[in-house]
Amino acid sequence: MNAKNLFKLCVIGSLGMATLGLTLVFNASPAAAHGERSQEPFLRMRTAQWYDTRWNPQKTAVNDEAIMSGKIHISEDWPRAVVKPNRTFINIGSPSSVFTRLSSKVNGTPMFTSGPLELGGDYEYVIKMRGRIPGHHHIHPMLAVNGAGPIAGPGAYMTIGGNYKDFTNPVKLLVGGTVDTETVGLGAGLFWHALWGGMGFAWIAWFAIRPMFLIRARVLAQEGGDALLNDPVDRIVAYGVLVACFVLIAIAFFTTDAMYAYTIPLQAGEPKIKATHLKSDLTMKVLAADYDVPGRALRMTLQVTNSGEQPLRIGEFTTAGIRFLNKVGVANNLDPTYPAEIMAVDGLHLEDESPINPGESKEVKLDSRDSLWEVQRLMDLVHDPDQRFGGLVMSWDESGNRHINSIAGNIIPVFTRAAAS
Amino acid sequence: MALFRTAEIIKASKLPPEGVKLSRMIDAVYFLPIAYLGVFATFHMHFDLLAGDWDFWIDWKDRQFWMTVTPIVEVAYPGAVMYYFWTFYRQPFGATLCITGLLVGKWITIVFAWYWWANFPMNFMMPATMVGSALILDCTLLLTRTWIITAIIGVWAFAMMFGPTNYALFGYSHQPLVVDGQLLSLADYMGFTYVRTGTPEYIRIIEVGSLRTFGGHTVWISAFFSAFISMLMFTIWWQVGHFVGQSYFWVRGKRGVRTRMNDTMIVGSDEFARRHGTPDGVAPKKLSAGAIGSTGTTFAEGKS
Repeated sequence: MNAKNLFKLCVIGSLGMATLGLTLVFNASPAAAHGERSQEPFLRMRTAQWYDTRWNPQKTAVNDEAIMSGKIHISEDWPRAVVKPNRTFINIGSPSSVFTRLSSKVNGTPMFTSGPLELGGDYEYVIKMRGRIPGHHHIHPMLAVNGAGPIAGPGAYMTIGGNYKDFTNPVKLLVGGTVDTETVGLGAGLFWHALWGGMGFAWIAWFAIRPMFLIRARVLAQEGGDALLNDPVDRIVAYGVLVACFVLIAIAFFTTDAMYAYTIPLQAGEPKIKATHLKSDLTMKVLAADYDVPGRALRMTLQVTNSGEQPLRIGEFTTAGIRFLNKVGVANNLDPTYPAEIMAVDGLHLEDESPINPGESKEVKLDSRDSLWEVQRLMDLVHDPDQRFGGLVMSWDESGNRHINSIAGNIIPVFTRAAAS
Repeated sequence: MALFRTAEIIKASKLPPEGVKLSRMIDAVYFLPIAYLGVFATFHMHFDLLAGDWDFWIDWKDRQFWMTVTPIVEVAYPGAVMYYFWTFYRQPFGATLCITGLLVGKWITIVFAWYWWANFPMNFMMPATMVGSALILDCTLLLTRTWIITAIIGVWAFAMMFGPTNYALFGYSHQPLVVDGQLLSLADYMGFTYVRTGTPEYIRIIEVGSLRTFGGHTVWISAFFSAFISMLMFTIWWQVGHFVGQSYFWVRGKRGVRTRMNDTMIVGSDEFARRHGTPDGVAPKKLSAGAIGSTGTTFAEGKS
């Protein structure tokens, strides 16, 4: 090795050591979420509108049950780029199966398999879970849409205490008896894998104990070599193995068949879920909307008409699982367990805070302003190929009844502070 | 009397004792680190790309697609590897080597990736086994010594035995249960209860009742169809083995003409010299009549 090569190796080695050192110094923290912020804003704002999401309780133990529930409004303004929700599945976004899912109901209908949801429909989901892997986990409701992928709802941390070794997941069978899904069938599976694997390795070893390659190749290349290599003892063993295989397969099949007299195939039907619809005495139309990039605010001008009998006050705008509230929203709809990092309790401002009276129709200027637009990467809206927004506007009457309107419309970005003011 | 013909075979190879010893060392190095690990790594990747999900999840192991896809994909690699081992060495363990290699890879993945890393229980991820089918395939080739019959009978049995063999492993998962008033198989419920964020239910490619004209005998219809396609697949991959498994080199003669030499396995031997001459033109001695390789004119070219 000459001096030049030695120098090159030293440089490469130094770079490697430096990389290792930097890695140790700037240790990357583990990912705590599921990439929901990486999804495009038009996808998050105009597909599944999540609201009333609850994680209850947020502290559990192994084997304890917890419920994740909430509502989804399927946006009427579903983007052109996203496949329509003709086949969907309500799912859980979690780091592996830290909870097992015991049941999942959408508008009261069990959703074990996937099914269609209706544009403009409103759905209440209840997912019952059982703590499995101890830890502090970030858990989302998730709507998986065939052809479009998963659409993550808001996420919250749930803590599971205890020891994984204590976990069991008993299930009662229709034909009687209870099995634990953690271990059922494992013994039989390991036994048959070991048995067949042992036979396979024994077959290979039968030939490996003798010269395998070079010698046989040289013999085979000669006339008569093929006949010489056709060892009679191999043929006898092959007949034996052949018979043993068929006998073993027959025993395995008929024994199992006798053991499980009643079986059914995998079930692949689809749930027929009836949609409900949002109720509101208000009608809303987006007249104009702009996105103030430097000010990190979405400003809307809405034409609002109250066709009810009570005055209504706007208190919340929610989109992409992120909530912007004012005093009205806080007073009526503040869930203290909702993750603070996706909620702006002073993030909604109205130019005219007076209520919308019965029969009144007026323009309302609504301003949802918070750094969440940037932190949650919704400001990337300006880079979307589909410049529209969507969300839910919530209003309350004096009796505390909630009215929800789904809105959507074009949005114009405002790039400079001078233009924004 | 010796159990094997090993002594005769070694004698016929005309290798000196140190050559025999070296050949066994080559066997060890070539077989384990190269042939076995190479096959297990590449076949594992090939299989997981083409039939992975059916083998990963218990709620994908259905009567139609799992039953059809798995033998077709699992017979491909063995076809090529069997060509190689049989044609050049008359070794009848190509299929068993592939399938056991695949399962070694699968179990490594199950323990380290699925169980330790992703926290899924091992019964949920249990792979199917086709070692029994592979043994039948290898034995058919050894006994018939023809790849055509092996493709017709051996591969047919290879695919048809897949269902019965694996019923012993997965029969329990088809027991019925009722959850929230809905009938499910245990496999369905396990697929539901163990949360897979990136694999929602509709990703499953399973029977949805599309074989309804066959009177419900989905398993056997699928197995027959799989067997026929497996025969075709085996034939194609046997030829792939032939295409990529050729061993030859080029020789430039005195007049500059390049000639293809196929007798790579006997280079340096008297037989090779007798057939192709020697650089200095000295012909080797003739062997005694009747001995293997004594004719000097009928060398095989490594074809089956």
